[in-house]
Amino acid sequence: MSLQSNKILIIGGGIQGCATAYFLAKRGQNVTLIEKDRIGRHASGVNAGGVRRLGRDVLEIPLSLAAMDIWQNLYQEIGEYAKDFHPCFYLKVAVDEAGREIGLMRAEDLSRAGFTHEVWVEDDHIQARLPHLSTPTHGGLLVEGDGWATPWRIVQGFANVAKKHGAKIIEDCRVTSLTKFQDFWQIQTAKGLFEAESVVNCAGAWAAGIARLADDHIFPLEAYAPMLVVTDKRPKILPAVMGVVAHTLSLKQLETGQFVIGGGVRSKASPSINQSDVLLPKLSSSMKLASKLFSEIGNAQVVRCWSGIEGYMPDNLPIIGRGRQNGLFHGFGFSAHGFQLGPGVGEALADLVMGQQPRISLEAFRPDRFVN
Amino acid sequence: MSLNQHYDLAIIGAGPAGMAAAVEASKNNLKVLVLDDQPAVGGQVYRQIDKNYHNSDELSYLGEDYWLGKKLVDNFWHSSAELLSESRVWQITRDKLIFFSQKGLAHQVQADFILISTGAMERPMPIPGWTLPGVMSVGGAQTLLKSNNSGVDGAVFAGSGPLFYLTIWQYLIAGLKIVAVVDTAPARLSLHHYLRAIPALLQLNLLLKGLRWKSYIRKNTKYFSQVRKVSISGQFAAESLSFIDRYGESKKLFASHIFLHQGVVPNVNLTMATGLKHYWCPRQLCWHPETNIYGESSLKGVFVAGDGSGIAGVGAAILSGKTAAKRIFQYSRRPPIFSIFLSKFKRYRHAAARPFLDNLFRPPKDWRVPFDDETIVCRCEALKKADISLAISLGVAGPNQLKSFCRAGMGRCQGRMCGLTIQQMIADHNNLLEKDIGYFRLRPPIRPLTVGELASMADENVPAK
Repeated sequence: MSLQSNKILIIGGGIQGCATAYFLAKRGQNVTLIEKDRIGRHASGVNAGGVRRLGRDVLEIPLSLAAMDIWQNLYQEIGEYAKDFHPCFYLKVAVDEAGREIGLMRAEDLSRAGFTHEVWVEDDHIQARLPHLSTPTHGGLLVEGDGWATPWRIVQGFANVAKKHGAKIIEDCRVTSLTKFQDFWQIQTAKGLFEAESVVNCAGAWAAGIARLADDHIFPLEAYAPMLVVTDKRPKILPAVMGVVAHTLSLKQLETGQFVIGGGVRSKASPSINQSDVLLPKLSSSMKLASKLFSEIGNAQVVRCWSGIEGYMPDNLPIIGRGRQNGLFHGFGFSAHGFQLGPGVGEALADLVMGQQPRISLEAFRPDRFVN
Repeated sequence: MSLNQHYDLAIIGAGPAGMAAAVEASKNNLKVLVLDDQPAVGGQVYRQIDKNYHNSDELSYLGEDYWLGKKLVDNFWHSSAELLSESRVWQITRDKLIFFSQKGLAHQVQADFILISTGAMERPMPIPGWTLPGVMSVGGAQTLLKSNNSGVDGAVFAGSGPLFYLTIWQYLIAGLKIVAVVDTAPARLSLHHYLRAIPALLQLNLLLKGLRWKSYIRKNTKYFSQVRKVSISGQFAAESLSFIDRYGESKKLFASHIFLHQGVVPNVNLTMATGLKHYWCPRQLCWHPETNIYGESSLKGVFVAGDGSGIAGVGAAILSGKTAAKRIFQYSRRPPIFSIFLSKFKRYRHAAARPFLDNLFRPPKDWRVPFDDETIVCRCEALKKADISLAISLGVAGPNQLKSFCRAGMGRCQGRMCGLTIQQMIADHNNLLEKDIGYFRLRPPIRPLTVGELASMADENVPAK
């Protein structure tokens, strides 16, 4: 087996890994990305594709805003693939008074923290923009410019432009051991032995396993499979991505007229065998809410249900930063809301690996925050 | 959630295998539920037999074999098995929870044992023009006879296989006019075929019946054998069918109704989505769920019977349903003593002609993969063979990855129309065997389910008897 020497090795071909590979390669770094299956095969390729700043944990907003800067100029980064991002507006409505109170409180918190992207709007505004809505709302939170993307295509886009900038991408390449020597890492894989000065762990639901192989922190990462359904094609009635305050629902209508309904209802995942379950009845409440918002959706036929394996952290915030071991960096644990963050995380990780200061603080995502 | 009812045995599909199993299991006092998606029991073979029986003199063209089903259906009605009709099962979990929808509401039931007897489906025949209005499957043509007691006058039949000849024979006896019969079977019999025919003599009756149909068809229709390059054309609907006859001459027949058939394959969507292991059957060119002689699948407590476990015909289906029910009774009430040899022999006898028939009517590749680049392969996403070839050439390893590249198989038919064709195309491109390519990863809901039905599970509701 030949030894392949690299400056930087990224483990994991999801959006975080591919975006990191892209930013590093663009800056002329010698970078290789290895993926145990295929690019975008798991959560990054099969998520709902929500590109939203709305509803983010306040600690996560700066990262989300930084990522949005990249999304808004995506064409400059990934070219043609950018057409698979569809900006519109994102609306999270309150369906009762309790929801309204939570929403108003949220709007107040945000404005106190100085954020202006997410605002409260009243029902008349909502009805005017969504004339097909079947129910009055109690107002809602709105972000202009948030939207949705075809996730697999975006990941593919970052992978392909990374390659164009000289990154190597190797699929079907599972890591079996990670050993730290004086100033380099030796990585044993299904496709031979690699050496690298820096290793970036973007292995999603499998990332805690990679950390364990590297003798890094023990991460309390859990794997679940958030479920989604897509319906048959229906007349266009929904020009926004929608959610409901205090409920797990995300709802959008694709250009084909198909509705995608999800929102993070989790099913069982077995990452060791790449298997995730779907249990449709768990989605019944989401379906009920969706049909309440638009009665037309009740008649739509569920064409497919799927799920992808995702890694969750106990505080629902990602791990981004340096590991315990020198030359090891982490970017995982996005707890089912990492797709929009991807480009921002890629940029920040590229900064970190190159010894530069990222443009936003990563303090809230410190890898050692669960170490007693 | 709906009421969680509990049964000893739940049977999916009230065709010959499902009904036979229900009768047998009820005899042994098992609490049995049968879920069937049609308004009337009988499956494909005995479709609408209760209704048609009152009219059996007028409908004699359906043939003796059809009427034999009446006894089984009567036994089923006399059994204690509960039937929920118009119930579409869209998910079975490993814990043997069954989810189904019926009349706009969704429900769940729990069973100790599950028997999946969802039968077969026709193998699609993707030739140029196969998606035009006016083109139907031969099974569809037969359904018209059984459900509506009517057929189509002036159609062309193209294809081969037992159901092909049977249906044409039924059309002729019913007095319907047929423009022509275009037989796609490669007619030359090899030594291989003759060797296969020896055990088939155990089912001599069946063979003779087949020969009788075929000779009747030859005498009473314009019949073309050993044809190649069949294609259908028409601007908005089927207008004509062209082909090259056995002498190498191009022929064109005008008809607005064209019925196609290339045999049947197990309907594996439910068994695959339930996570049962499957294997590729090179003789029948399709996937079969792995079962033992009793029909037990790789998932404990889940059985498969009838053509859904491999095409073997109605006699074998009834036997397999009974065998599975007996085995389930043994598991639930007393230790197994059933003779494996006896059941192996019975099974063999009921399917003795199958290897011969499989070989005789094995569809050549031209009928499984379009010979023309412009022919639609994936109907739901309107993808031509050329679109799929292009995606495959980008380095697609299997049908599941192909979905990401071109959306093939992601529509509402869930790959029923394109799955086997795509699998073959990927195998050919990579020079691998079909069994190494694998099939679409199938996921629930495997039957039509509306958002409203799924939403109804958030409330209490009770299925209609």
